[in-house]
Amino acid sequence: MESGLSSLLSISIDFGTSHLFFPMIIHWVLALLFLAVLVTKTIPFLAAVKRGERTLPIIGESMDGFRFFGTLALMVAYFYLMAFVGNIFPYTGYGFLFVSMVFVLLMALMYMHEWTKKAVTTAVITAIVAPSVAWFVLAKLFKITLP
Amino acid sequence: MEFLSLLDLTFFLLAALGALVGIVFGAIPGMTATMAVAVCLPLTYALGLNHGLALLLGLYVGGISGGMVPAILINIPGTPSSITTTFDGYPMAQKGEGEKALRVSVIASVVGGLISAAVLFFFAPMLADFSIKFSYVEKFLIILLALSVIASLSSNMLVGIFSGVIGIWLSLVGVYSTSDGGNGKTRLMFDFMEPYLFEGFSLLPVLIGIFGISTILLEAEKGVKNELSGERVKLGKGGSGFSMSIFKGRLTNLVRSSFIGTFVGMLPGVGGSAASVLAYTQEKNLSKDSSEMGKGAPQGLIASESANNALTGGALIPLLSLGIPGDSTTAVLIGAFTLQGIQVGPLFIPENVDTWYVMMTALIFANIVMFFLMFYAIKHIAKVVMVPKHLLFPIIVMMCVVGAYAINYGIMFDVWTLLIFGVLGYVIQKVGLEVAPLIIGFILGSQAEVYFVKSLESAGTFSIFFTKSPIAVVLWILIIASVVFSILMGLKRRKVSREEASQ
Repeated sequence: MESGLSSLLSISIDFGTSHLFFPMIIHWVLALLFLAVLVTKTIPFLAAVKRGERTLPIIGESMDGFRFFGTLALMVAYFYLMAFVGNIFPYTGYGFLFVSMVFVLLMALMYMHEWTKKAVTTAVITAIVAPSVAWFVLAKLFKITLP
Repeated sequence: MEFLSLLDLTFFLLAALGALVGIVFGAIPGMTATMAVAVCLPLTYALGLNHGLALLLGLYVGGISGGMVPAILINIPGTPSSITTTFDGYPMAQKGEGEKALRVSVIASVVGGLISAAVLFFFAPMLADFSIKFSYVEKFLIILLALSVIASLSSNMLVGIFSGVIGIWLSLVGVYSTSDGGNGKTRLMFDFMEPYLFEGFSLLPVLIGIFGISTILLEAEKGVKNELSGERVKLGKGGSGFSMSIFKGRLTNLVRSSFIGTFVGMLPGVGGSAASVLAYTQEKNLSKDSSEMGKGAPQGLIASESANNALTGGALIPLLSLGIPGDSTTAVLIGAFTLQGIQVGPLFIPENVDTWYVMMTALIFANIVMFFLMFYAIKHIAKVVMVPKHLLFPIIVMMCVVGAYAINYGIMFDVWTLLIFGVLGYVIQKVGLEVAPLIIGFILGSQAEVYFVKSLESAGTFSIFFTKSPIAVVLWILIIASVVFSILMGLKRRKVSREEASQ
């Protein structure tokens, strides 16, 4: 019995595939946990959704679609253009500086609920000042690499 | 006392600046101490280790403390840990005692912070000394214990463990590094990803994405409303009626809550709200005159604020002695340490004695600065609560980008990592998974792999995890205890809710 147990527990790991050993265990654990969550949480939750007691997250909830997807779109454009403009002026950080100004302004305008003259003016000033300060302090004073 | 030569004026100025910026972040609802640290990380790239630490610890202390301001004045906790501060703080503000409430909270905070710093100072070296003898087996079991404690204290244990294991999975993407004794092969990805993901996801962009970008997304979804329009900030008129006599007879409460905060801080992955809620309920149960609590009693503020500030020292204990972060903010700190070339773990304190003393100085100094800033300048700080979010959020995104881009000296993929994990963090929070276990799983995952695989390679049997040493057995007992505890709590909660339903 003793030897049976120890042979059950004994293990040898082939070095060539040792990078897959731990991930394999994690995959099994993940799969088991996923099943458990599915049975104890997800199925009762979906049943409650069907009865109309709960709503699905993200899809079923009311959301500010314009601002949410606008944020995502702005971020993608921001990241992409930053690298693009940065390649035109390499090692200067101008890509960061100029694209950030546009990004800060657009995002501020998008989040603003009432476009008053005063609010738009502060947004424009912020959009010019904040990236400039960040660019100056980080790129010039601290010599940090910026796109 | 050699470390004194490492302290200069810049050091103290940075700690003070950190505390101030932290308070501002903490005071703005929706912004947390974690975010303050994450957003300000790029500033530390150029600073040396000691100066960087001063800034980060200042931010940490300030960020946790700042949460009290909106909690008291407008009934919105600035950080999750200030939730119980609203119970008594807001009623006091409505009675025109806002400034008094703030001052009581500031004193409670500084006491909590200093007590926990003292516990950290004496306890962390002891724990490190003890754990220095750990072999890979014990180190693996410590990580297993940390994850099981996190999971058992999550609102749902199964979901907590599941989130933690997802974090581990994410940490395994990339190469099984030869420097850890691996075979240098990549896994969990397709070949075309190799140029980007060879080393896996970088820690800091992941953290900044999950804590910075996903917060912005969650707010954007709600339409970025300024909840504060039309709210009047009620500070109360001068001569706020504050005097030290409020603390008379409250010393037990103060000390008990500070120790509760420190202890909860030590448990990995347990956020500040658990500490302040526990301290608050203990005061309610044990105090002779708890009938006023919830209607504007200073004792509630004392319990809540001393506990949540005591977290800071507590959370640093496992970080500095075992290399396991105590909460999400210390998780970001781990990233900052790695950046400075420092490996936190049992050897950290013995090998970096000077750094250890510098940290303690920064921590204590940050607490003192926080006290003076908040006690005397609170009226002006309170106004930050009113800064419109439409100006703040774009700037935060911008700082997140700088932090991610500069971390590996200009890699654009790290910026995209930010977005990937920003969206992932958003989805995770939406479907009800938990962020804290996931992050800690992510941080500890790759170490867990090395410890686990190496233990098995050298012993050749799974039984090594049970028979290696008495400490291993004790760790298993603790792991089982935390699981049993969580099951018992779950049953109790179910019973209570059933009784409530039947009434």
